[in-house]
Amino acid sequence: MKKYIQPLLPVLTLYIVLLGAGLSIPGLWQPIAFIMFYVVLGQALNMFLGMTGYVDFGYVAFLGLGAYGMALAFSLFTDDGLGSGIIVVGFLMAVIFSILLSMAVGAIALRLRGAYFAIATIGVSEGFKYLIEGARLWGGSEGIIISSQLRDSFGSEMANYLSTFASDILIFAIGILAAILTVYTLHTRAGYALMALREDEDAAKVMGVNVTKYKVMAFGMSAVFAGLIGASAWTLKLTYVFPEDVFNIIYTVEAIVIVMLGGAGTLAGPVVGGLIYGILRYYLATVLPGFQLLVVAPLLVLIVTVFPDGVVGYIKRKLKGSRFSKYVI
Amino acid sequence: MLEAENLETGYGPMQILWGITIKAEKQSITTIIGPNGAGKTTILRAIMGMIQPWNGKITYDGDDVTMLPPHKKVERGLSMVLEGRHLFGGMTVKENLILGAYTKQARERLDDSLEIVYTLFPILKERSTQKAGTLSGGQQQMLAIARALMTRPKLIMLDEPSQGLAPIVVEQVMDTLKKLREELEITILLVEQNVLVSYHTADYTYIIENGQVVKEGEPSECIDIQEIRKAYLGV
Repeated sequence: MKKYIQPLLPVLTLYIVLLGAGLSIPGLWQPIAFIMFYVVLGQALNMFLGMTGYVDFGYVAFLGLGAYGMALAFSLFTDDGLGSGIIVVGFLMAVIFSILLSMAVGAIALRLRGAYFAIATIGVSEGFKYLIEGARLWGGSEGIIISSQLRDSFGSEMANYLSTFASDILIFAIGILAAILTVYTLHTRAGYALMALREDEDAAKVMGVNVTKYKVMAFGMSAVFAGLIGASAWTLKLTYVFPEDVFNIIYTVEAIVIVMLGGAGTLAGPVVGGLIYGILRYYLATVLPGFQLLVVAPLLVLIVTVFPDGVVGYIKRKLKGSRFSKYVI
Repeated sequence: MLEAENLETGYGPMQILWGITIKAEKQSITTIIGPNGAGKTTILRAIMGMIQPWNGKITYDGDDVTMLPPHKKVERGLSMVLEGRHLFGGMTVKENLILGAYTKQARERLDDSLEIVYTLFPILKERSTQKAGTLSGGQQQMLAIARALMTRPKLIMLDEPSQGLAPIVVEQVMDTLKKLREELEITILLVEQNVLVSYHTADYTYIIENGQVVKEGEPSECIDIQEIRKAYLGV
């Protein structure tokens, strides 16, 4: 048990500090919710990119489908008298959508390796955007707006609370869940298998690792978390879903930067990466409006030159052998 | 122990193996030799299940294992040392070995296996905390073999273990293989480009050209040492 708790301590402490600061300091809730989105996004992608070393350029499609899952739940079932259960249905649909997509993409693209996988996945999110817009699926380019359904289901006060506060709390919850699952995975045979397959897939095979199984598992898990994030950080929070927003490739790129910046395959990595990136992005938007996205390019250059293993990878190496090493994995 | 019958396979539309039949007898050293591009590595990859055979049959220990994925074959006691070693360079020698004992039955016998490989390769014990990537070529090859041993195999396939090694180190590697056969009763299937090494180590040899077996037999029968001297040394 101790080996699970120790590395979780710094991460959970950070969450509590962020939560406490957001709740007690006026005006800080919005920026913290903004930053937490990036932290959790990094954690979700890390489950796949960090664990397997495969880069999915269509990753945002899982968030997008999660967002649509939640939105469709509201637009289809609001009149069925589910009450607050509709949110559960929404999350369920988000999860099912992202699992289905991960299986479809995985069955084809996970047979490819390295750069070929990355290239094959680029089309996924763009494809969905144009499919929804072109085929006028799910409202087409007009998207789905659920603010009136939210009011009908919960009353306007509760609906307001849901989108301005509860959806952010859900993001915290998803982050905690992701952290626990990551620690657990890292300490099981699955963790060893993933480590071996990330380092050298052929070597892993001849050691007896069922590489297909673990790749599919990591991909599915990562997709589910992305779906949950899309459902709460986008649909519940913003109360609308537009295809060009939720399938925007920039989120994929940001997620990759966060994972690499923090340290791929580590527990604390995406948390630290998301924190740094989120803070930079938020405050650059106020200091240098319009230029905030430019931060991605120099950051990437910085990562590959100075911190090839990410910030946490660097710290981990420095702590190796010391008594703090158990806290940073 | 292991038999491949009429094995045919390739990559994409390109066929590489055209009906290969080879056999590795229990506790023997069998070598496959042949020029670049003959399909030697492909034979091992097909036997291991890393690429799927198109045709033919692979039997191991009396069972048909033609379509088994690699991890199932490892569970049955088949192991492979890949060409170019494929070590986890950033990890220590010991970490490499521990990861090698990944399967359930291997994990249960981890301590025992470690002792076996450390006795076999004392240098690895000395260097156990050193990063695998910083070992010399010969030591890396030893580690690759040791890592394969951690799966507790009954049969090891090695893909050009002499590649890039000095002649004296090649000799050490070959002596190790003989030791594996004698002391651990392991069957060895060896792919080599180094014909002379093969000549001195093997119990049985297959010569492959263009995806077919062109000659087979005990090395003294099928390798014409004079011809090789002429071809390699010009004398």
